[in-house]
Amino acid sequence: MTLITIILMALITFLTRYLFIHPKIPLRLNVKMVSFLSFSAPAVLTAIWVPIIFIREGELALSIANPYLIAATVAVILAAKKANIYLILLASGGLFAFLKMGVFI
Amino acid sequence: MIIYMSENIYQQTVKSKSIARKTNIRIVLKGFMDMMPLNLAVIPWGILCGSLAIQRDFSVLEALLMPLIVFAGSAQLVATELIGGNAPLATILFTTFIISSRHFLYGLSLRDKMKVLPNKWRYPLGFLLTDELFALSTHTRAFNGKVRLLYALASGGSFYLCWLMWNIIGIFAGSYLPDLTSLGLDFAIAVTFIALVIPSIKNIPILVTVVVAGLCSVVFKLLAWELDLVFSALLGMLAGYYVLRFQQKVKRVIKENIT
Repeated sequence: MTLITIILMALITFLTRYLFIHPKIPLRLNVKMVSFLSFSAPAVLTAIWVPIIFIREGELALSIANPYLIAATVAVILAAKKANIYLILLASGGLFAFLKMGVFI
Repeated sequence: MIIYMSENIYQQTVKSKSIARKTNIRIVLKGFMDMMPLNLAVIPWGILCGSLAIQRDFSVLEALLMPLIVFAGSAQLVATELIGGNAPLATILFTTFIISSRHFLYGLSLRDKMKVLPNKWRYPLGFLLTDELFALSTHTRAFNGKVRLLYALASGGSFYLCWLMWNIIGIFAGSYLPDLTSLGLDFAIAVTFIALVIPSIKNIPILVTVVVAGLCSVVFKLLAWELDLVFSALLGMLAGYYVLRFQQKVKRVIKENIT
């Protein structure tokens, strides 16, 4: 049963990814639509990362005690200065781990 | 003379073939290196997915099939919990569909870029079209020409292989690891997306998109809407689009007044 569920899930994830790049779908995008869609990358990626940082256990966590918030602020500053992606990962990840451990101690 | 010429041509083709091969290797390497930070950022996430499947009584085959054919991050994780909790099939499939529905946007955005591609390449690219590959596909000429196609296949393919590898580690080592859910593993994903999004804010419309999408995503998540991700992204895109149109309109009016 689990096997069938997994196969059906695979069909769903593939369908959502493939459907609109299928050539036979009768769909032509006009200039306005293309311009609108050009904002999809920053929009979707932001809608993924922002809740991870600001919402902890279902509640808004706007406090200095939230290690996600502190470490993400550092990441945003470094990224705005066009720092290397590995430097951003290391610096903010290290700070995050440090803060997390501090909470446990 | 003829022999000499043909030999010369032969040598030239051999030379250009070896140059082409070198370029191909370089492109594959570049795709791999560009995807590397993302490959690394999902290590904890992948291990978690693999080990959770085993903890929820999946067989090794079933746990392997999840990254192998479903190949999704959050959908995989949520569905594993649902299957482990004996949720009805319709619930599992519907949830998978909702979480995966953001990919419709990716397909739509890349549709025109893939227009020139031979059809046979759309299947593997469609399969590999994750958040991560989409994040690397923002170039206006992405997927166009052999080089960019190879780049997409290499970067997307490396992400697939790494995701599979991290899951396998989770499947076989998960029981020896501490409880991974409390370690804050999602931070690695958030920080890679920060590193990708923030430098891409090059003008006011994109800034507005990011601010609106971010605010909406927090509000919708707190309201526990199921389509929170897709709706906040759509509102962010709309906001950016209208700011862009407003800017263009202002520019046009200024130009008309000058001339």
